[in-house]
Amino acid sequence: MSRTLKAFPTLLRIGLAEAIAYRAEFFIWMLTMTMPLIMLALMSTLAEEAPIGNFDSPRFVSYYLATLIVRQLASSWMVWEMMREIREGTLSMRLLRPIHPLSGYAAESLASIPMRALFSTPIALIALYATSGRDVTRDPALIFAFVLSVAGAWLLNFCISSIIGTLALYLDSSIAIWELWLGGFMIFSGYLLPLSLFPPWFQTLAHVLPFSYLQALPVEIITGLHGRSGAFWELGHQWLYALSALGAMLLFWQRAIKRFSAFGG
Amino acid sequence: MNLISVEHLTKEYRVHERPPGLMASLHSVFHRKYKIARAVDDLSFSIRSGERVGFLGPNGAGKTTTLKVLSGLLHPTAGTVRVSGFDPRRREHDFLQRITLVMGQKQQLLWDLPPADTFTMNRAIYDIPKQEFDETLSELSSLLELGKLVERPTRQLSLGERMKCELVAALLHRPKVLFLDEPTIGLDVSMQAELRTFLKKYNERFEATILLTSHYMDDVTALCPRVIVIDRGHLTYDGDLTQLVHKVRPHKRIVLRMHDGKQETHDVAPSDLKATITRLLSGDPISDLTVEDPPLEEVMRDLFAERGDRVTNS
Amino acid sequence: MARYFRLLLVRLRVSVQLGSQYRSDFLVGGVMALFWLSWNLVPMWVVWQKRPMIAGWSFPEALLVAAWFTLMRGVLEGAVQPSLVAVVEHIRQGTLDFVLLKPADAQFLVSTAKFESWRAADAIGALVIGGYALHRVAHPPAASAIAVALLLTLAGAAVLYAVAIVVVAAAFWVVRLDNLIYLFNSIFDAARWPLTVFRGFWRILFTFIIPLGLITTYPAMALLNKLDWPTALRALGGAMLFVALARVAWTRALKHYTSASS
Repeated sequence: MSRTLKAFPTLLRIGLAEAIAYRAEFFIWMLTMTMPLIMLALMSTLAEEAPIGNFDSPRFVSYYLATLIVRQLASSWMVWEMMREIREGTLSMRLLRPIHPLSGYAAESLASIPMRALFSTPIALIALYATSGRDVTRDPALIFAFVLSVAGAWLLNFCISSIIGTLALYLDSSIAIWELWLGGFMIFSGYLLPLSLFPPWFQTLAHVLPFSYLQALPVEIITGLHGRSGAFWELGHQWLYALSALGAMLLFWQRAIKRFSAFGG
Repeated sequence: MNLISVEHLTKEYRVHERPPGLMASLHSVFHRKYKIARAVDDLSFSIRSGERVGFLGPNGAGKTTTLKVLSGLLHPTAGTVRVSGFDPRRREHDFLQRITLVMGQKQQLLWDLPPADTFTMNRAIYDIPKQEFDETLSELSSLLELGKLVERPTRQLSLGERMKCELVAALLHRPKVLFLDEPTIGLDVSMQAELRTFLKKYNERFEATILLTSHYMDDVTALCPRVIVIDRGHLTYDGDLTQLVHKVRPHKRIVLRMHDGKQETHDVAPSDLKATITRLLSGDPISDLTVEDPPLEEVMRDLFAERGDRVTNS
Repeated sequence: MARYFRLLLVRLRVSVQLGSQYRSDFLVGGVMALFWLSWNLVPMWVVWQKRPMIAGWSFPEALLVAAWFTLMRGVLEGAVQPSLVAVVEHIRQGTLDFVLLKPADAQFLVSTAKFESWRAADAIGALVIGGYALHRVAHPPAASAIAVALLLTLAGAAVLYAVAIVVVAAAFWVVRLDNLIYLFNSIFDAARWPLTVFRGFWRILFTFIIPLGLITTYPAMALLNKLDWPTALRALGGAMLFVALARVAWTRALKHYTSASS
């Protein structure tokens, strides 16, 4: 553990260097996350005549730009990397190193955040300017909650990505499971549409499922859709999910590697 | 004392059988059928500290599997394996710190960054003190004549240059046990020779133990006084390389070169050598005559052609 | 010309044969496609729940656009992209040279290399959605409207193909193609909405630069008798222009490839 902590800064630095070396690909990957901008154009136009639900046009602007930023900061593409390494057998290289392979993946994933921030900071500034910051919360407690909720969303996302990536040791078609997960994410996480526009039964369902904690929660906190008590209550739920996912990930990884070593894939 | 000991190692793979047809394949999602494939069968050998051993056998003989078991990537189905006092399957940090596995077909270098960055990363991962790291790096670099190579992105390096850097990355933590799986694959002849010289020097300098597989018999001839031959998971030979050659191909090879450039070869038993040479010299005038052992390639071909007939251990 | 047509038929047949060898993949792929189809309609349904008419489109009318989107995505992912992914594989492994040595047009050869036949499920899905939408719209379209819609569908498919060729041509210079394809797919997703709900920058982008409107909205409008003749003609002209541009881009990319590689 202490060795991992000691090595972590170097791993982060190399990971960042890698992200910079891949900047062209990286930029394109980030552009693929512009769906919120398209939804923003759509919904803010619709809301010009009259508000849709509790959303007027500027609120849609704040909501979708916050969505874009949270997605940039909290998402992780490591599933593809993991599956590729498992398919090509280069996972062995990671297993031979005297630190936990998942901490290597975590470092790589975290190291790309500065590059993503480079992309999302201008968006945040535009959002503040365009809406005069009307919907952005000024409560320091809520801003603190927002930071925690982005960290929680990243952790939850990372753990779930790892679990699905590890599935590739068992299944040929784990990519289909990832796509299924993404499909659920698109609808249930508030990524395409704010959850409050959905029918009540759907909102209840979305509340139980983990998706909203990956995306909607940080967005809702920073755009002032939650009061303090509501925000921290939800934050507790999120971290409960994240820590359980962390435990599940570690257990599953251990089992999968054991099985992999025993049966040779 | 034995540094590596392998006793009755058996390794089986479970291969998932995918039946044809829709219903059958849907059914197999829930009830998977497996076939057992035995890659290594009751294999025993031991290696002393500082030895250089060549691991030979045709494709699919179980060489890579054995190396993976020795480095802890695969668990034995049966039998015991000890490396440097450790049970590899536990993959303890102290164990991983002491070994390295180089696979010619897989790389650990970061593709878009210069090798120097991979080195720095490995320094952090293996927790190598700065001074030791600098020493090792400069020593390995001068042995391999790396120069400024390490500052160019890996993708711009030639295959041979990449392999050199791959070796450096794998040896920075000064492992005592080297498992090398086809380290020279795809390299040209001079680069192969360069890597062989390097491995020999590393072995002498750090008293490291080397177990190496290769398709290039020159690698084995030049590097390994001892060879272990396996075929279909079984041990077929373990011992001295020259003795193996004498056992399989007891004949000496006489190569004659005539004045007109023609060449003749005669394989004869050692006892008939003198008589044959005398006879040949009394014939047509010749420009050159050499006596040599048959090349290892031919020895191997013979060895695996007579599959099943074990060569007894000497 | 006849030779190219025969070649196309041969390749289609091979793809269908390949597809039927993996019948379970075929079936699972088809079922999944239909699932995603209905799943992707959810945001649309939610938005139109809040408003009966949006930018002049009722929900059934918008569904008709979604039907075209489904069809065209099937064309894109079933007929256009598999081949283009194969080209990149060729470039990477250096086997594109073999294609260039064959006595037929290289662009034709690479873009007909592979078809995913299970994507036919998309066409079925499109028919179901389109049929339902037309039933709800209540007045059946005139024969002339159907003809124009079909013509525009062909033009739309041609534009889709042209854009994809341009993307591949770009891949000769810049980055890995799987990224570009992913990017294009994520932008193409916007085509499920009628073009007119967008304004300003996006409207211009989706009309002229990445003409998603031509691919999904115009055919639906034609069927609904909402498209005037000048627009239809301009759309057809634009489609031809795109195909011509793609040809130029491809030729230049190939020239670049043959002069750059050794």
